Amino acid sequence: MMYHQMPIPTRSEHLWRYTPWPRIHPSKPETVPKADEVIFSINGPQELIAVPHSQKPQGDIARAFLQATGGSSSRIRLNDEMEAVHINARASGHVAVGHLHLEVKGSAVVFLHISGEPEWVGLHITGTIHPNAHLAFGFINELDSNTKFLRCEDWELERDSSLEHATLSVGGFRCKSDLRTSLNGTGSSVRQSITVNADGSRHDDEHVEIHHHHGHTQSDLVMNSACGGSSHFIGTGLLTIAEGANKSDASQVFRNLLLSPNARAEAIPELEVLADDVSAAHGAASAPVDNNQLHYLMSRGLDPQEAESVIVNGFLYDAFSNLTNKELLEEMRTRLTVHLECELKR
Amino acid sequence: MSDDAQEIIGDYKYGFHDPENSTIRFDKGLSEQVVRDISELKNEPQWMTDIRVKAYRHFVERVMPEWGNCSLLNMIDFENVTYFLRSSNKTENSWDDVPDDIKNTFDRLGIPEAEQKWLGGVTAQYESEAVYHSIREDLEEQGVIFLDMDSGLKQYPEIVKKYFGTVIPHSDNKFSALNTAVWSGGSFLYIPKGVHVEMPVQAYFRINAKNMGQFERTLIIADEGSSVHYVEGCTAPSYSTDSLHSAVVELIAMDGAKIRYSTVQNWSSNVYNLVTKRAIAYRNATVEWVDGNIGSKLTMKYPSVLLKGEGAHAEVISVAYAGKGQHQDTGAKVHHLAPNTTSNILSKSISKGGGRSSYRGLLQVTPKSTGCRSKVVCDALILDEDSRSDTYPTMEIGNSTADLEHEASVSKVSNDQLFYLMSRGFNEEEAMGLIVNGFFEPFTRELPMEYAVELNKLLELEMEGSIG
Repeated sequence: MMYHQMPIPTRSEHLWRYTPWPRIHPSKPETVPKADEVIFSINGPQELIAVPHSQKPQGDIARAFLQATGGSSSRIRLNDEMEAVHINARASGHVAVGHLHLEVKGSAVVFLHISGEPEWVGLHITGTIHPNAHLAFGFINELDSNTKFLRCEDWELERDSSLEHATLSVGGFRCKSDLRTSLNGTGSSVRQSITVNADGSRHDDEHVEIHHHHGHTQSDLVMNSACGGSSHFIGTGLLTIAEGANKSDASQVFRNLLLSPNARAEAIPELEVLADDVSAAHGAASAPVDNNQLHYLMSRGLDPQEAESVIVNGFLYDAFSNLTNKELLEEMRTRLTVHLECELKR
Repeated sequence: MSDDAQEIIGDYKYGFHDPENSTIRFDKGLSEQVVRDISELKNEPQWMTDIRVKAYRHFVERVMPEWGNCSLLNMIDFENVTYFLRSSNKTENSWDDVPDDIKNTFDRLGIPEAEQKWLGGVTAQYESEAVYHSIREDLEEQGVIFLDMDSGLKQYPEIVKKYFGTVIPHSDNKFSALNTAVWSGGSFLYIPKGVHVEMPVQAYFRINAKNMGQFERTLIIADEGSSVHYVEGCTAPSYSTDSLHSAVVELIAMDGAKIRYSTVQNWSSNVYNLVTKRAIAYRNATVEWVDGNIGSKLTMKYPSVLLKGEGAHAEVISVAYAGKGQHQDTGAKVHHLAPNTTSNILSKSISKGGGRSSYRGLLQVTPKSTGCRSKVVCDALILDEDSRSDTYPTMEIGNSTADLEHEASVSKVSNDQLFYLMSRGFNEEEAMGLIVNGFFEPFTRELPMEYAVELNKLLELEMEGSIG
């Protein structure tokens, strides 16, 4: 369906329960603004090719809206890449939208940095990972702290392919992400890590769907958030294992660390299992900073603020520990360190 | 019994039905007049009639839930339900006075025998109203009030008026509105300050007629420092057409009180079981829901506790068995509304033969509730390829000092465990039965002995033929 034909989702849909569509829309839900382009640039020899916008009807209001607003649309083909590919997405103007499709036929490491100060940014990333291909993908959100940000991702994984996906979400004022991965071939696997550091009145809503359509597939999701000020973090996950997708192994872990009395966090890790011979588990935990840990560090000479900062840093780093690609792991941790140091200096 | 009937009933041992000998039976269908007629027939005070009518209007306006198993929910034909059926002209307090056919039903269910042995009080509801009611004299002397809800309204209108609908208002959801409009029967239980009811009190709900709607309303108030264990059981005959059971249960545990509410729901597989159960726990009070769901076509039931007073505690233990054609959509909701409140939720489910079990839960900590702790554990077993298990937990944390954990797992019966038991001489079916009983053990050990034994027997029946 096209955007104008779609009803506004109600809050009974858990995807829109905490960040209703009108709150993330740039103005009024019935309007479709003409968007400026998000400019993609690349640091390597790979070519970004401008492609026409997809006209495929969308099943989801956020994707249909991004399609309707236009913006830039590019594609990149990746084969066996020796060095990590850094793509910079620069957003400017009032409302900016970008579409990017990645076609992966070998092993590649890709980092996508998004920055800029528009009032509203929309980004739709799609990716096809062909049989036996492997992609390590790092997404770093460094948008201005006044920007509203809508991000949709759709990943299709073929037989024996793998995706390692890491997100560092520290930018933007109100963010809504909807990340979906389909494991379409046997032997495919996805590892996903999301680290969120929210402060002030930042609102970050991360929704992750992983669909096991075939057997012998694996998924592993870790989402860690540290919320200070009066920030609000929402982590929702939907893990489905289709009928007959036996020997699938799926896990999701959501952890929230609340650092101030006015911070809020919601965790909704959902499971739908239609096959019997599977291993599926999820866990969610929420707690303040552990007093014993604080006491231990303070007994070693750190003041309370330093001690808390060490614990929070360790907690956020830990979200990336399920990643096996070294380059991805190091880059994400470096970016996180830079962010935390900047925070500390403020 | 014909082969067709046997096929419908299957292993369900309470699927028999007795001839209908109703004294009053309303025509099928629901209208404001039906609601007023029920109220008039019961000779209710005007305020109750007004609440019923208001609730009916809300029910008509309210849309069906847009979540859960919508396709099954939308198959409910509210016009094909009998909303009131009276089987006996009064509530007896001796089994000898209960009409023979009804007594016969309860004899077959083993209720009178259980009462003599181990119960503090019994209410037996047949169709819309209670047909038998008794309470031990010593409890009555201590001021314990245990009545069917209709008698409760007649004899203690002030207490009922004060608390009715305060925990679950009629506007809470479509089915609480329906219940408030047409409620009939249920239990009214009041435990005075400091009284501990040592033996459980029990209510037994039986639907006998075809296309029957049972809408009992239960209100339990445990005054300061008191405690009670309330047990309910439910069965119905198997018909090829559907019946509707939509109860509302309100519990109020005052400061330091303790209420345990145990349910073994074993409706036949043609019953929609759409129940709203909620409790309020004040300072240092404890509310425990022990909830077993074995039967029904679709169950949607999420026992809830509002922890309103500091130090209050909630405990929810629930098990669900979803067999062929069944969807057990169950769970628990705990709202931590006061500081230093704690809760534990344990949910276990088994899906077999194409059945679907879903855990749907909510854990909420409001901004002012400091020092709250909660733990949620959901375990699901899937016994074959056609079955399904879902987990939909929600945690809303508004206070930074809250310490909450949730963990869930879905798996099949481990081959190692089966192999171990078979190496000790059990055949595969026995081994599977032992594992399943062990899986449900945290639930059965919280039930009174007779119920636990009964539940294990039921599970054995349900599990029969599950291998190969």
